[in-house]
Amino acid sequence: MTGGPTAYSFEWSAIWRGLPYLLQGAGLTILISALAMVLAAAYVEVFRNTPLLIQIFIVYFGLPQLGLRLAPFASGLVALVVYAAAYNAEIFRAGLEAVPKGQHEAARSIGLGAWQAMRFVIVPQAVRIAFPALGNNLVSLVKNSSLVSTIGMVELMFVANDISFNNFRTFEIYGTTAGLYVLLVMLLTRALHLAERRMARVR
Amino acid sequence: MSARVVLESLPYLLRGTLVTVGLSLAVIAVGTALGLVLGVLRFVPWRRVGTAIGWAVELARAVPLLLLMFFIFFGLPALGIRLPTFPAAVLAVSLWMTVNTAEVVRGGIQSIPAGQFEAARSLGLGWLPTMRHVIVPQAVRRMIPPFVGLCTILIKDTSLAAIIGVFELTRAAQETIERTLRSFEIYMVAAAIYFLICFPLTQLARRAEARLQRPS
Repeated sequence: MTGGPTAYSFEWSAIWRGLPYLLQGAGLTILISALAMVLAAAYVEVFRNTPLLIQIFIVYFGLPQLGLRLAPFASGLVALVVYAAAYNAEIFRAGLEAVPKGQHEAARSIGLGAWQAMRFVIVPQAVRIAFPALGNNLVSLVKNSSLVSTIGMVELMFVANDISFNNFRTFEIYGTTAGLYVLLVMLLTRALHLAERRMARVR
Repeated sequence: MSARVVLESLPYLLRGTLVTVGLSLAVIAVGTALGLVLGVLRFVPWRRVGTAIGWAVELARAVPLLLLMFFIFFGLPALGIRLPTFPAAVLAVSLWMTVNTAEVVRGGIQSIPAGQFEAARSLGLGWLPTMRHVIVPQAVRRMIPPFVGLCTILIKDTSLAAIIGVFELTRAAQETIERTLRSFEIYMVAAAIYFLICFPLTQLARRAEARLQRPS
């Protein structure tokens, strides 16, 4: 009996035969990673630079043409989520960039790994920097959500239209609705300010 | 995807685009001028006046543009003020642009150290010359990035005028879809046109922002 576990015969030809395919695979790895990066950047730019109203219309009126039919609520939600996410991505990017490079270097030099440095040192500071801008985004989102009334989702703006087109008291109803939005935005702004101040205290 | 429908509807969409651009430019001109005045007036020596202007700006900013538009177009006739769709849209969007520009101006002015103001006043400059020759010229540099960002939001938000029936890009898209029933393609083309207008502006804002970060 020849052979045993140690008597493995290394076959170079397998490598030569496999290498072209492996290289092809590696190429695809690079391609898909690069594509993901480009698409992520493109996603942010596309959704930030086109009107929310058109995005809502594409989801609600356009997608059924491709066989994807969503109810008004789901359509409105999807459109608002992708729109707000694109804006938030940009804010997080700016927040991460605003953390001084020395913070990362210092974290690495005291023995934290790349992930740990990100998780415990960079991100907490970036979130604190980004918080006010994220808050502004939330306020904009509350106001922008009025646009989903155009596809028939029942929310404040929709109800205002519904009532005023029935009783013709447009001045009173829209005035009251404006008051409600003001109240909503003021309360939200106040809450965000409080949260911001608490964040600043915990150091 | 039906390329023929897209090609055939392009001229109509471009006619709408012209209105969108014209509407945006008019509103930017009016909103910038009024917003600058309103923003500077928040810092007048009479505290009460400044506070009152601040509150007015905050209140107007808290109302969604769509509601402003509906209030002006559907609500004001109750007071006997009956505006056609286009002027109503211009008024609503201008009001929106004015108060948001005022907020940008406030932020810019507040970022200037108080010592600049005190130094100018102690040199004997009045309030207005101080603002005109000392504070605002320094603040403008800081206002540019958020202001350009505001302009892109404005261009996108002129699409709301379509809801009260103003003919512009979004309305042109809606009318084309009523004829062709190709909502996906047509809205995509409209979105692409908005993108071509807005993308250079956001890049400009980003570059201006980056320049601010560098010490001058």
